[in-house]
Amino acid sequence: MKAFLGMVMLVFMAKAHGQEWLDQLDNKLSVKSQDGVFRANLTGLLDQEGYYVDQRPPGLLFEDESFFNPRLTFFLDTQIGPHIYAFLQARLDRGFDPGEKDFDARLDEYLLRWTPWDDNRLNLQFGKFATVVGSWVQRHDSWQNPLITAPLPYENLTPVSYDDIPTSPADFLARRSVPDQKDSWLPVIWGPVYTTGWSAFGSIGKFDYALDLKNAAISSHPDSWELNSSLWRYPTVSGRLGFRPAPDWNHGISFSLGPYLTAEASDELPSGKTISDYFQYTLDYEVSYSFRRWQLWGEVFLSRFEVPNVGNADLIAYYLEVKYKITSGLYAAARWNQELFAKINNGFGAEVPWGNDMYRIDLALGYRFTRHLQTKLQYSFGHRNASLQQGEQLVAAQVTVKF
Amino acid sequence: MKCSTEIKAVCCVLLQFTAYCVFGQAAVEGRVSLPRPQPWSVPPLRYAGQVGEITPPDPPIAVVYLEGQFLTPQRTSNRLTNEVLQLGAQFRPALLPVQVGASVTFPNGDDFYHNVFSYSKPKRFDLGRYRKSDRPPVEVFEKPGVVKLYCEIHKHMRGIILVLDTPYFITTQTNGVYKLQDLPAGHFLLKAWIDEKHVYEKPIDLQSGQAIHVDFDEK
Repeated sequence: MKAFLGMVMLVFMAKAHGQEWLDQLDNKLSVKSQDGVFRANLTGLLDQEGYYVDQRPPGLLFEDESFFNPRLTFFLDTQIGPHIYAFLQARLDRGFDPGEKDFDARLDEYLLRWTPWDDNRLNLQFGKFATVVGSWVQRHDSWQNPLITAPLPYENLTPVSYDDIPTSPADFLARRSVPDQKDSWLPVIWGPVYTTGWSAFGSIGKFDYALDLKNAAISSHPDSWELNSSLWRYPTVSGRLGFRPAPDWNHGISFSLGPYLTAEASDELPSGKTISDYFQYTLDYEVSYSFRRWQLWGEVFLSRFEVPNVGNADLIAYYLEVKYKITSGLYAAARWNQELFAKINNGFGAEVPWGNDMYRIDLALGYRFTRHLQTKLQYSFGHRNASLQQGEQLVAAQVTVKF
Repeated sequence: MKCSTEIKAVCCVLLQFTAYCVFGQAAVEGRVSLPRPQPWSVPPLRYAGQVGEITPPDPPIAVVYLEGQFLTPQRTSNRLTNEVLQLGAQFRPALLPVQVGASVTFPNGDDFYHNVFSYSKPKRFDLGRYRKSDRPPVEVFEKPGVVKLYCEIHKHMRGIILVLDTPYFITTQTNGVYKLQDLPAGHFLLKAWIDEKHVYEKPIDLQSGQAIHVDFDEK
């Protein structure tokens, strides 16, 4: 109740006095040297979210019941001359994924970038930062995401685990009948995947490209993303090629390949095998179109997990999303998501899907009161092709103050 | 025949004089002390993607305008077409004065999208996304005040439409020099608007046929 009142208070305070004050704050949080060589800009997002679910929350929502999730995010963009750029994203919240902990403070992203030329043909960067795979990363923060939750491929857990090795295909298939093991199972791609490593990217004409070498797979748990001693032992390579034939269309294909198991799984692997023998391979095609008040996005992922004692576990996951601006402040958004699992041999000669096929529809209304205040309301209905459902219905509300 | 020509000439002068007395032809000229152009560099993208060609913003200018009670018939806006172009990922001009009731078109001059919007009190709008070749949207500005322009895609873009309740206004050159002409006679307030924090004003008395010099310094 207190958190709900907090949301309402946040809206009224930001609406009544926020615009001018936050405009002024924008200017005060920007510093630059007199010659303009050094400049730093601190910005942020203050979110308050509430989730109501009719069952155990789906995807990467970690609480067992309905809950509130406050989040304060700081972004620091720093430029030193035209060729050096540094970025830092710090968060205070209840864990990387909503409801994971009671309180958490993290550096989610930090990077140092060198741009050798004056144009954008090449950028080289090192640090902990979002993946180049897919198109959702560009709009994943609460201000830009038209909905509250991520698309299904970015958050729906599959029965593949990073540390729990199935002893047989039957053991693996049995996971379809138990609730998601959120501390162990993996999605196709874990949100924006802030893994650590190197990246080279740029754009030439209508094309843009990116290639990164990171310390963990795109499906990996956030605990694996940090800079650690095993940084280069099990690297993941990802790349993307984008093509923009006209302002309204954008196409991109991405790939990613790398081991997805963590060191904890080593002891359970078949003899003679190492973590490096089990890869996640992913191919992604993305398209977007926008014109006037319409924006549309679509992505399809083909992913393969090489599962010890099982073989190849393939799946296809996709979503189509649309946003329409009804007025200057009000918009509606909808997203159709589906995840389909391929069949594997169950060890007794039969071919059966290794996961429960799922569809989900997300509907949202959002309103931007000012350049600094936004609120959203989302309803989702998801259904698995199984007797065990998980969070079929979800209602979420979010208030965001941007500064 | 000769007499008729002389009568015509006298009538013409009398007509001009009458118009001169009634409508006035005063002018104000001078210089506004403008802030130095800020050092500028291309804002970096946080994530990989296309940038498009981004050019520096125009140097700062000011709007000089006359406030007061005007006895003469009010002129309509001194521009037939008010336009804010999006070019090089900048608003051009970055400061546009218009009279209340004026319309402004927003053509996209770039080969990539912009999404112009404003949540300002005098005018709230969101133009969506359109190409260079598309017919640009038009907005009418009915209330006086400061309308701040932003682009949803390019966060660095800043523009202002200054909606004025006076027909007598002009923008300075980039060196601050201005000349406001065809003004009525009378007692008025001359204002120089650089930004919301820097608005200067001076009371002036204008007489028909007179050109006065008014400078606005920061001090």
